[in-house]
Amino acid sequence: MFYLTRMLGRPVVDAAGETIGAISDVAIATREVFPRVTSLAFLGPEKTPFMLSWRKFVEAIDDDQIILNVTRDALRFSYLQPDEILLARDLLNQQIVDTQGMKVVRVNDLKLSESRHQLRLLGAEVGIRGILRGLHPALERTAERIMKLFGGTLAEDIIAWNYMDLLDRDLSHVQLSVTHKRLHELHPADIADVLEQLSPAQRAKVFEHLDNSQAADTISELEDAFQADVIDDLGSQRASDILEIMDPDDAADIIGDLPYDKAEALLRLMGVEESSAVRGLLGYREKTAGGIMTPEVTTVTEEMTVQQVIDHLRGEAAENESIYYIYVTDETDHLEGVISLRDLVVSDPETLIADIVTKEVITAYVEDDQEDVAETMSKYDLLAMPVVDETNKLLGIVTVDDALDVLEEESAEDLELATGQRARTGITGIWRWVSRNGWLVVWGALFLLAAMLPVPGVALLVLFATIILRIAEDVASHALSRVIETEDEDERTPLWRRFASDAVSGTALGVLVGLVAGAVTWLVQEPSGVLDEALRIELAILVGLVYALAVLAVSLAGTLIARVAEGVASRGRRVSGTAITVVLMLIGMLVFGGLALGAWRLLAAQGLTGM
Amino acid sequence: MTEPKTRTRKRTGLLALLAVIGPGIIAASAGNDSGGISTYSVAGAKYGYTMLWMMLAMTPSFAIVQEMAGRMGAVTGKGFSALIRERFGVRPTFFAMLMLLASNAATTIAEFAGIAAAMQLFGVSKYISVPIAAVVVWLLVVRGSYRNVEKVLLALSSVFIAYVIAAFLAKPDLGTVATAFVVPRIVPTQAFIALAIGLTGTTIAPWMQFLVQSNIVDKGTTVKEWALARWDVIVGAIAANVIACFIIITTATVLHPAGIEVTGAGEAARALAPLAGHYAEALFAIGLLSASVLAAAVLPLTASYAICEAFGWESGLDRSWSEAPLFNGLYTFVILTGAAVILLPGLSLIGIMLVSQVVNGMLLPFLLIFMMIIINDRKIMGRHVNGRVNNLFAWTTIVVVITLTVLLLGMTLFGIG
Repeated sequence: MFYLTRMLGRPVVDAAGETIGAISDVAIATREVFPRVTSLAFLGPEKTPFMLSWRKFVEAIDDDQIILNVTRDALRFSYLQPDEILLARDLLNQQIVDTQGMKVVRVNDLKLSESRHQLRLLGAEVGIRGILRGLHPALERTAERIMKLFGGTLAEDIIAWNYMDLLDRDLSHVQLSVTHKRLHELHPADIADVLEQLSPAQRAKVFEHLDNSQAADTISELEDAFQADVIDDLGSQRASDILEIMDPDDAADIIGDLPYDKAEALLRLMGVEESSAVRGLLGYREKTAGGIMTPEVTTVTEEMTVQQVIDHLRGEAAENESIYYIYVTDETDHLEGVISLRDLVVSDPETLIADIVTKEVITAYVEDDQEDVAETMSKYDLLAMPVVDETNKLLGIVTVDDALDVLEEESAEDLELATGQRARTGITGIWRWVSRNGWLVVWGALFLLAAMLPVPGVALLVLFATIILRIAEDVASHALSRVIETEDEDERTPLWRRFASDAVSGTALGVLVGLVAGAVTWLVQEPSGVLDEALRIELAILVGLVYALAVLAVSLAGTLIARVAEGVASRGRRVSGTAITVVLMLIGMLVFGGLALGAWRLLAAQGLTGM
Repeated sequence: MTEPKTRTRKRTGLLALLAVIGPGIIAASAGNDSGGISTYSVAGAKYGYTMLWMMLAMTPSFAIVQEMAGRMGAVTGKGFSALIRERFGVRPTFFAMLMLLASNAATTIAEFAGIAAAMQLFGVSKYISVPIAAVVVWLLVVRGSYRNVEKVLLALSSVFIAYVIAAFLAKPDLGTVATAFVVPRIVPTQAFIALAIGLTGTTIAPWMQFLVQSNIVDKGTTVKEWALARWDVIVGAIAANVIACFIIITTATVLHPAGIEVTGAGEAARALAPLAGHYAEALFAIGLLSASVLAAAVLPLTASYAICEAFGWESGLDRSWSEAPLFNGLYTFVILTGAAVILLPGLSLIGIMLVSQVVNGMLLPFLLIFMMIIINDRKIMGRHVNGRVNNLFAWTTIVVVITLTVLLLGMTLFGIG
């Protein structure tokens, strides 16, 4: 086994035993799965670069040197062939795409092996082991030994040549084996995954190798955040060509995210038909049925025969995104019914459409929430759902792929709402703990702040407010689940009814907490014996009242906040669960503090605070 | 392929100038982080106008180095650390990344010192402010929300532009100031040499070169667009130094004659008294706090991205701990170290800020050498290699800083000064 990093710099010795230079690189034949080393590059005296054929001149290779089979003067030097890849120049330390693992990695070393006088490239080492070896071989050995002590192994992370695509060197003009997988041969969804790991400049290079339809598919698969950037970086002509190929709904999404000037320029460059389809879609609000539908619908009339419809499908409708359902409309595009591809195939060619059409069509209104549309589709197992306006005119269809995206997006949003955590960022232990025990964190922070203030009572107050904060958190999570629910149902109970029911439950909880607090106060006061019985009861009642009112206030504030949050959520904006919690806690704290201050004043007025 | 038509409609005149200068100035005033503010304040308070000539000499170097970093990004589309790795291989990269990490960690420590000092002005003990700040900064980074608060913090930290006004209100003797700019003077003490290194380190901070380059790469700036974008970088660099000069002039006029040495943020804040009177401390504290929080979030991330790029480790804020353990681990480590060091009892916060800048200054020439070799390599830069003037300034900077470092080490060793 040989490693390139260890070979570089080793002496090249001729048949007479004389050192004529130091290894600087080796070239491989690109066509094989385990490519043969074809040439040896070395630096002669005064750093002059030389290259010679491996097959003709290399006699033997060992860990210390390369021995040639002739003396120096019998050597014939060669030149680098355009289809040869130099391992040190083109691969070592470079970024490559691992087309099997769909990742962008950096080559730390190259592993070669010798068999029957031929040195072959086994693959690129991309793991930590290569880095350690590159730093110092002793490091690698030490790490290996340490791993062994703990019963593990320091695994090699090797990528074979036929799963490599290079980013800086273009492999298009190099002969590769048929099994060699290059980036642009992957599935568009996989290409998209890799592209997201690259810098804009590298992405642009990859796009040079994709044809327009591949590019269109790939861009559709990219995360939303990248789509507009990628289109923006492509030249206008190419960008508009690609947008033309894309499904109009996808194209509209991207164009909607571009700056106005750029969007207009692209729309003008696009074909008339495509650009008017996109323009039409841009008019619909985001997150509604109109926002996710495609205007490409296959429509027929009742008077047509099955055969005519099939001909229509083969002809002009062949390009449409979805042809599993064919919609039946009148002359003015009003939806009358639907037939499925299955109905067509099993019917006699001469049958009239009017005889097989289903009149009960499940439709979506153009302003319907996208989540409702997706849920209806999932409920009835539809591959597509027609979108109509108030006059039942057919505007477009929502296809199943877009519905799936919506469901995924919405469940991520709900999750985020419920946990206060963005689904994509790593949910780490600490953060999860912090967001679940928000009240404790706020309490801790308040207590620390209070402890620093020169006024002595404040810290004590925060200490006593613990239970209020805890309750505020419960109210917040209750409010939050309400927001999530109403987002689904879209039916709201009137505010006063909620207010009333929350007031009842708030009062109940308040009375409970107040009783306990009052009782504790009463009991604590007893041993000191400073207060007479009447005052003792008065103090206990006051404390109980402060707690009870604070709890009630927090519950009612929760009702209001939930309503506000619903309003925000229904306008399609994000609601932060953490924010709701924090606001409620602060409200609770303020009310409690205010009430406590009032009670203190009252007691002071009676001359009781001097104790 | 035709070029986008919209791009050719360039804004002209004053608007274009403002569009170029605006972001530059804001970014530059944030570049004056806690390390910068403290170093400039100490320089002015301790040595008066003496060090101003260094600022003048350093300004072209700084602008040139920043331009070089940006140009490398625009031409290659790659970050500085990736270029180091591809040009030099594993071993030199390892040392370069070690230096970057050291420079970043030292500066992050200084940022937390800045946070602690600012909060002390508000009467909050560092044992409370620093742990809270560490959690806040970490959350800002992890949740990627620092981009949302970035603009607010930048706007708040731009209160340091107040130094420009304060400098004039303090009525310095303009003749003396002008002379100080052009007549080089050196005080042969260890403290002076160390401060000179720190001044270089804070002005031409190593991490800033990584940041500038990666910003250019992330924006996808092409060589063609660089022609315009370079002015943003250059103007930003000059603006930063202009503000730095005003900090020195203000502190030199207000504090130096009164014999006040900057040993804490309180003294440094007093320099703003001619402008803000009683509110000087609050003004200074707000600026220091926001600049420090912003830098404390940006610095660890810069290091994390650069190091992962060099070694090909997975990176990105949208990756979880199991997907990108090293990326997440690195910035968490830097933030925690930064905060932990400040919590050690009995530290001089200003001292920490100064030392971190001296560390930056000592590491700078080595990273610059990497930069010089890469930017003069035609295989990498094509025809965009450095011109003579750029090379002259950059090499001079390298030689001068190394000389100063050797001088300082020698003086310390032999107990001179």
